[in-house]
Amino acid sequence: MLNEHYIASGVLELYAVGGLTQSEREEVEQRAAASPEIKAALDEACAAMESYAQLHQMAPRPVLKTNVMARIQEESAAADGPVVTEQEQAPIPMYAGHEREGSPYKWMFAASVVLFLISGILSFYFYNKWQQTEDRLQLALASEQQYAQNLQTVNLQIQQQEQVLSILQDPDTRYVQLQGVEGHPEAAMQVFWHPQQQKVYVGALNLPAPPQGKQYQLWALDNGQPVDAGMIALDDTNFRLQQMKEIGTAQAFAVTLEPEGGSENPTLEQLIVMGEVQS
Amino acid sequence: MPNQPANKPSEEELVLRLRSRETAAMSQLYDMYSATLYGVIVQIVKVEGVAEDVMQESFVKIWNSFSMYDEKKGRLFTWMINICRNLAIDKVRSKEYRVTGATDTLGASNKISVTTESFNSEHLDVREMVGKLNPEQKQIIDLMYFEGYTQNQISETFNIPLGTVKTRARSAVKFLARIFKTRA
Repeated sequence: MLNEHYIASGVLELYAVGGLTQSEREEVEQRAAASPEIKAALDEACAAMESYAQLHQMAPRPVLKTNVMARIQEESAAADGPVVTEQEQAPIPMYAGHEREGSPYKWMFAASVVLFLISGILSFYFYNKWQQTEDRLQLALASEQQYAQNLQTVNLQIQQQEQVLSILQDPDTRYVQLQGVEGHPEAAMQVFWHPQQQKVYVGALNLPAPPQGKQYQLWALDNGQPVDAGMIALDDTNFRLQQMKEIGTAQAFAVTLEPEGGSENPTLEQLIVMGEVQS
Repeated sequence: MPNQPANKPSEEELVLRLRSRETAAMSQLYDMYSATLYGVIVQIVKVEGVAEDVMQESFVKIWNSFSMYDEKKGRLFTWMINICRNLAIDKVRSKEYRVTGATDTLGASNKISVTTESFNSEHLDVREMVGKLNPEQKQIIDLMYFEGYTQNQISETFNIPLGTVKTRARSAVKFLARIFKTRA
């Protein structure tokens, strides 16, 4: 439709008076935006109706302005976040409400992702901690076993010490000091003999290290006859006593160097120490 | 003159300030147009309490959807009055209004128009001239402007040919435009 015909059709006046439907109004607005001629005619019609409206003007109560401005301040504060620009057409309240409704979900989603990550990190952290603790527990158990073993050893040693002490304290125990014979002046050892119980112990050994394949053997001399009293196991301690074979009667004790495993008769040339029982 | 429409440059400035979300501009806008807008709303809803509610909703809507206003498509006042009229007509047609407002409807209408019109002496001569407006034409534009009828609804309800409705509306507006133009 030509502009003149459009203007003459009366649709602009109907627009000004409000007699058009929404879609008809939009069409008029579009034509006006496209043609200055139509826009001018539309403005004229609208201005006329504006003046007509002014004839009915009526001042509202002053409190209404207070209320209106309060509402607008509220709206302004609520919508302060997203600033509306000219390009952003129409932040219709409905739309804005929708967006505001959507954002909590976004936040909830973001929060759940963050929580998931945190829980993952914590799981890893605590798994590592647990592993470390497990390792340390193993170490602790091992060292506890070690201690228990040590304690057992110490207990054993104490038992042996007590045994030694009980032998030494027994008034019936005979103490025999064996001295080095000719050629072995440094050598010495002690024999503790309990004739009633027939028990023989050796201790406080101070014998030279035997050559390879040789061992010291203890002999009890009973009326000149040498009786085998067992092989001496040479070791470190001076505070331990080695129990030897049982001997009932003896006047002296002697030690000879014999081939490993011992001999039936002492090799007299290899006599190292000797001592008489004090009666 | 708080109730006179602003002259061109200041209206443009006002629009710019409203676009930059200045609440103070809203206060000015209210001062400039509230009486006219309120008068029309009262004509439509007939009850002042309801009119105040509609007025408040209208200004909130004007504020919130101001970015939709396009001066290329029409005058600021026309855009605002359309918002007010739509909300007022919706209110009248809502069930809530029919229940609460029905009782006051008759008396209020006349009383209001008499009291308000008599206040403004400046409009007296214009009023005389508007009084000369053809009653048939006046009926058409009042039904549209204050009752929310569309041209088709008037044609159907009052059994007037659509062409006649158009012609009368056009003539009425032309007549009003002439009166107010000669004044200005």
